[in-house]
Amino acid sequence: MDDLTEMLKGTLEGCVLQIIGAEETYGYAITRRLNDLGFADVVEGTVYTILLRLEKKGLVQVTKRPSELGPPRKFYALNDEGRRQLAAFWAKWEYITTRIDRLKEGGR
Amino acid sequence: MNFWDTITGNDLTREWKAIEARAALLPADYRAAWEQIKGHLFIYGDFTGRNLMPIVDSALGLLEETAADGQSIHDVLGDDLAGFCAALAGGEGARTFRDRWREQLNRNVARKLRRLGG
Repeated sequence: MDDLTEMLKGTLEGCVLQIIGAEETYGYAITRRLNDLGFADVVEGTVYTILLRLEKKGLVQVTKRPSELGPPRKFYALNDEGRRQLAAFWAKWEYITTRIDRLKEGGR
Repeated sequence: MNFWDTITGNDLTREWKAIEARAALLPADYRAAWEQIKGHLFIYGDFTGRNLMPIVDSALGLLEETAADGQSIHDVLGDDLAGFCAALAGGEGARTFRDRWREQLNRNVARKLRRLGG
């Protein structure tokens, strides 16, 4: 599906939180996970800017670990505030989707 | 950072040298992207560009990590370099050149309007 990026913009941060929440992981793996889900347009640069934002907001704990080749990788894990934000994201998601579904089905 | 460095920006010159030395080790397509990234980020800089250093450093960090993975630069940054840089600089350096230009423009327009008796 093309042109998903615009629609995804607000929700991608929540998706990344969810992925990090499942297990400690790094940018490349997060991008591949999103690609595998079918979000082909998402590139590592996109994920990286989201990760920086999450870091600045203090939602993640960042650990630098050496990698086999090249510079050390940054690994991300959720902290308590991150878990709160993730729960808030799913609450908002629930709110939006139920209402949009209702609209689609022609109800009020 | 000592006073002399603050005034002269000597430390910035040193940091830039270190950063460019790191960038020189990147593959050719990455280096080309790096040149563009610098151009896009510049507009978010304050007078000395000091606010850009952490941003530039993290952008270069991403390029280093992904180059080591053997990814193509397109896989990493996609088509929207300007968007990537805007997102990188987002929220950082609130008073940028652009804001100042915009303010100046607004002021000038307001002054002209007043003169017209608007």
